[in-house]
Amino acid sequence: MIRFILAALLLCAGAARAQLLHAQAQLLDFTAAETRAILRHGPWPAPWSPDPSNRVSGNPAAIALGERLFFEPRLSPSGKVLCATCHAPFRGWQDARARALGLAEVDRNTPSLYDVRQQRWFGWDGAGDSLWAQSIRPILDAREMGGSQEHAAALVRADAELACGYQRAFGAPPPAADAALLAGIGKALAAFQETIVSGRAPFDEFRDALEQGDSAAAARYPAAAQRGLRIFVGRGNCSACHFGPTFSNGEFHDTGVPFFIKGGVEPGRHAGIGKLQVNSFNLLGAHNDDRSGASAVKTRQVALEHRNFGEFKVPSLRNVAQTAPYMHNGSLVTLADVVRHYSELSPDRLHSDGESLLKPLRLSAGETSDLVAFLESLTERASVLPPRRPAAPCRR
Amino acid sequence: MEERRSPVRQFARALIGAFGALAALGGTALACELPPGERVESERLVVSYRTIPAQIAVGQPFVLEFAACPKRGTAVSERIKLDAHMPEHRHGMNYRTRVTPLGAGRFHSEGWLFHMPGRWEFLFDVGSERLTHNVRVE
Repeated sequence: MIRFILAALLLCAGAARAQLLHAQAQLLDFTAAETRAILRHGPWPAPWSPDPSNRVSGNPAAIALGERLFFEPRLSPSGKVLCATCHAPFRGWQDARARALGLAEVDRNTPSLYDVRQQRWFGWDGAGDSLWAQSIRPILDAREMGGSQEHAAALVRADAELACGYQRAFGAPPPAADAALLAGIGKALAAFQETIVSGRAPFDEFRDALEQGDSAAAARYPAAAQRGLRIFVGRGNCSACHFGPTFSNGEFHDTGVPFFIKGGVEPGRHAGIGKLQVNSFNLLGAHNDDRSGASAVKTRQVALEHRNFGEFKVPSLRNVAQTAPYMHNGSLVTLADVVRHYSELSPDRLHSDGESLLKPLRLSAGETSDLVAFLESLTERASVLPPRRPAAPCRR
Repeated sequence: MEERRSPVRQFARALIGAFGALAALGGTALACELPPGERVESERLVVSYRTIPAQIAVGQPFVLEFAACPKRGTAVSERIKLDAHMPEHRHGMNYRTRVTPLGAGRFHSEGWLFHMPGRWEFLFDVGSERLTHNVRVE
């Protein structure tokens, strides 16, 4: 009798387990339009090409110099702040703070550096039109590294290792002109940051399985993430801006995040375009290495509109679960907070002359949790970055 | 008294006359020759455009080549403004296009970038006339 009961229990447990596995391994009936929208978010990794405005982009010697400079505290005259202070590799290349803290606190959240080579504009306001120009900005900002053109140039000229690294990267000794040397420092820093790429995530495996028609492999993607993805590409319309393999269209939008700051308002993209236009390191200037002029078209043709006020860049969502807190001011602590922001969005907060794309999604608790499950599935399974090693002595 | 003309001078005059006639004909013909591409017509105008690359990708810059011909003899205005917007989203591009006349009714323009998927409407302002054309960008 006991044997019979045990056998029945085992049978029940087996059936329950099979049912669970079946529930886990379920593929939603995505429509053709949904499938097309999902496939647009890949393949990953995206193809990499050197930056034409930076003659040392992709150059191993420049990458080595850039890495050394990225972790160099002496770039700040204080000796206390380095690029990695805010862009910490072990924190998803950001600092986990609401607002960045260099020599003083700034008004914005530190963006992660993952896949930064794929971006068109840099910084929340897009005041940088190249990664190398953007890399110069915090060196000179009084609240961040508090440095100067003269200080950075003098450091590289005087330090035998840095001067040697410069010679190897650029094929010439550090130039006499401080501005040209600072541009070189920015380009080496950019060459290093271009190597910071994110690895493949569970979403990528699902997306590729869908493309190949491999339903069994696609069904291994968690059901909650599938439901969240359906909202993302469908009713939520999130993929209109979080577009393509990087989950960003690279442009700027007003998402109704309050933009009041101490002593005024955050003008966002509006001021970013103004800063871009007067920056002597922009792509229209003498330091752009792209002689074709093609890379500077965006800078020359960008339009300054009233609606740019309060617009901020659409961030990539790859590894987003590693880069809390969120939004330009770090005001949302968790991914669930971000989803709730869009769910309960107040249209009154949006520009009256702005786009009519954002509407409150009114998501249920279950739908919110599904969207979060999808966003978490954009986290790389493993880092594809080489481990950091102590810098080898430079030999010319 | 009959003017005496040298045969060389007569030949030169004939050559100049022939070139002049050819140039006038050629100018008209060139102004009305539309290159291959998408065609859009109004009562007065026919325009043709093509993008480079041919397939517009979301978030990727492209170039637009444009030509305009009058249906009747009047010349095409050189006052050309090219733009695009998303009517459903009530927004345009984040860039202004730069239009360079190439002569004979042809224009080259850059600064194009469609930053969202969906329906975009090209706006071709030729003088006082506006022609439009819809494209769907995936």
